[in-house]
Amino acid sequence: MTGRQRILAALRREPVDRTPVCNPTSVATVELMDLVDAPFPDANRNPELMARLAATGYTELGFDSVMPVFSIIQESSALGCKIQWEQKDNWPTVRMREPIWRDADDVRVPNDFLTHPDTRCVLDAIGILRRELGEEVAIIGKTMGPWSLGYHCFGVETFLLMSLDDPGRTKLCLDRLKEATIRFGLAQIEAGADALTLPDHATGDLVSGEYYERFLKDLHAEFAERLPIPLILHICGRTVDRMGYIAETGMAAFHFDSKNTPDESMEAVRDRIALVGNINNPETLYARDPEAVRAEVFKNLAAGVQLVGPECAIPLQTAIENLVEIPRAVREWHASHAHPHAG
Amino acid sequence: MAELADIANATIRQEIAEYLDRPVEIERNIALFARTRPLMQEIAVAVIEGDQVACDRLTRQALEEGVHALEIMDDGLIGGMGIVGIKFRENFIFVPEVLACARSMKAGMAHIEPILSAAGVEPVGTVVMGTVKGDLHDIGKNLCIMMLRGAGFSVIDLGVDTAPDQFIAAVEEHGAPLLGMSALLTTTMPNMGRTIEAFIDAGLRDDVKIMVGGAPVTQEFADDMGADGYGKDALACVALAKQLLGVAA
Repeated sequence: MTGRQRILAALRREPVDRTPVCNPTSVATVELMDLVDAPFPDANRNPELMARLAATGYTELGFDSVMPVFSIIQESSALGCKIQWEQKDNWPTVRMREPIWRDADDVRVPNDFLTHPDTRCVLDAIGILRRELGEEVAIIGKTMGPWSLGYHCFGVETFLLMSLDDPGRTKLCLDRLKEATIRFGLAQIEAGADALTLPDHATGDLVSGEYYERFLKDLHAEFAERLPIPLILHICGRTVDRMGYIAETGMAAFHFDSKNTPDESMEAVRDRIALVGNINNPETLYARDPEAVRAEVFKNLAAGVQLVGPECAIPLQTAIENLVEIPRAVREWHASHAHPHAG
Repeated sequence: MAELADIANATIRQEIAEYLDRPVEIERNIALFARTRPLMQEIAVAVIEGDQVACDRLTRQALEEGVHALEIMDDGLIGGMGIVGIKFRENFIFVPEVLACARSMKAGMAHIEPILSAAGVEPVGTVVMGTVKGDLHDIGKNLCIMMLRGAGFSVIDLGVDTAPDQFIAAVEEHGAPLLGMSALLTTTMPNMGRTIEAFIDAGLRDDVKIMVGGAPVTQEFADDMGADGYGKDALACVALAKQLLGVAA
């Protein structure tokens, strides 16, 4: 199987020749930027550089997928948020202390949303990757969910307080913001994306599982219906209390954090959705060695996790030797174990 | 020793019975609320329920009835926030609810602070807090600040994207014995270490205790960079601040 075939089969929970290595979020590093001369912040704004840096996920690291969206700010920039673009060694961030909206009546997706340079950049980069990498590797796009966009556009505290004070207005905001998610997702599909990561940070570090069910479950089910390629929901932090709801949305996969063990997560979703994850970033990929990475890969494979990869966007200073250990360990494990998802 | 039945307010009794599990915390809260007057318990309930209108009204009522501002703060507002912190730590409530509770406390403190300030009442301690350079995330830091203020600390909030020299200037200006730094990004975590180095270079490291926290930060990382302590959540931050300043828990 090619990497693309492997990823798409695993997302459909169909048989694969081995567990795919997947990066639903960024694997860009400073080392890789130097290797292909595509540094931040330009690689977040120039489609040629964005595609060149994204391709290294396949050409240098040996993953089965590439992911050109290295941050979570492209749509928010197009919606009008102020962005701090930062330097080569840091991610761009939305200036959430300078919110652009105060009320549901302010929520409006601009007419030029898809022609704004920061959304256009992603679409053009996906087109370049499709042309250059052909069918060899899966191209994963990214469209932000309305909860995360709410943080960016209203400010985290304002948005969370609104959710408590006026749930009806909050739902109205989410309903209006979902059009940004769908429009950007459809445009990436048209540009050549094989699957989409949909980050929507209703994390257990901030809100309850009941909140996910009340505000987001139906919206996420709607995304799964209206975006006709596999969707990978990404929520950081502790999420096992909401994985049961997530498994009922119809999304293809859930990208889960190392705060949830592979075994308890597999138990929570009970084969209703594929899992992607969950190699720890700060303590393992960033701070330890290939041996520690290998141990975490094995733990995920032993639990039956369908796609293996880092838990979230990897630290920019992560060593390449730790990243290439992920596909190496997957191959090593399959050489000595019967594969639970094999055809 | 006081017992749960000694507390007049039924909501407080229910909160302690339902949400508190650690014997030391149960004992401390029963002892506190069993000796406080009913109006202070009502103020604590207003904080716990995130009812800023009630908190504002009850605080004004207590002052009009001649209750000392310090008593209102310690027995009502801080007492209520103490239970809020425990419920948050144990995942009975989440950030939206904590934000509402902190808003209620703030509504009460708006009446209390000017009185305490005019009377020269000292806070438990002064803490300078900020998110490090290159990092614009502040929800975790803000939760810590809410809990610190809820425990009687005076907090100087430097906001986000704070450079080492800004931390140094604030510590010097306010004579703060304690500094707290937060980071959400793995890319900005090293700026905690750089800030600590800046304090060493400025000859000020021995004058200030430094605590760190944030989603990717670990005890090991805190030790490596030479911090005095690491707090994994907002309530741990308060306990650490008290420990570092030698304040009774």
